[in-house]
Amino acid sequence: MIKVLFFGPVVERIGKNALEVGYRDDMTLQELRDELALHYPLAFEIVCFFAVNGQHVRDLALPLADNSEVTFMAKFSGG
Amino acid sequence: MKDAVRIQSDDFSQDEEILALKASSRRMGGIATFVGCARDFSEGRDVAEISFDAYGSMAVSEMKQLRSDAIAKFGLLDARIVHRICTVTAGDNIVFIAAGAEHRVAALEACRWMIDELKLRVPIWKKEVTPQGEAWVVPHP
Repeated sequence: MIKVLFFGPVVERIGKNALEVGYRDDMTLQELRDELALHYPLAFEIVCFFAVNGQHVRDLALPLADNSEVTFMAKFSGG
Repeated sequence: MKDAVRIQSDDFSQDEEILALKASSRRMGGIATFVGCARDFSEGRDVAEISFDAYGSMAVSEMKQLRSDAIAKFGLLDARIVHRICTVTAGDNIVFIAAGAEHRVAALEACRWMIDELKLRVPIWKKEVTPQGEAWVVPHP
């Protein structure tokens, strides 16, 4: 199972702050992103950062491990 | 002593943070600080309050890395970063950054660099409540 987290403006567009997606062998971050973007296109319009297990990821080809925590994030606005 | 890097809902004391910074080294000759605070007007609209959301564990991890990077990049003696995650109104403190170095140039440059990097790297989002409704802030330079 992959745990997917959302924060801030992305939560507002998805309507929840977390969901779970079944894990598949050889699943990549790109595949997970594309799958979720089909269901939540408005949210993914503003997603521009990705994190896996709390670490920034820039390569969407990254293979995911089972039980990963994946976060799709809008541009930050702290400070 | 409080951690040098933290997120918290309560306000921070600049005096306490600077004292903690000074306590880390007797060689510190320059301290630069930045305080970000809430405004009552933004992008042509009145702002009643500002609330924050954060990916807490990652935000702290990124802020710790940011502090380490700044110490290494500018040769700082110490640095501190505190960000509030709560709801604030005009005049309230939001973020505190301090850089301590042997001389002023490194401290000033590091302080500016840290707040700029924080805005790029740390997963925190700001929402403004206005008479027209609520809106997540779109970052600008």
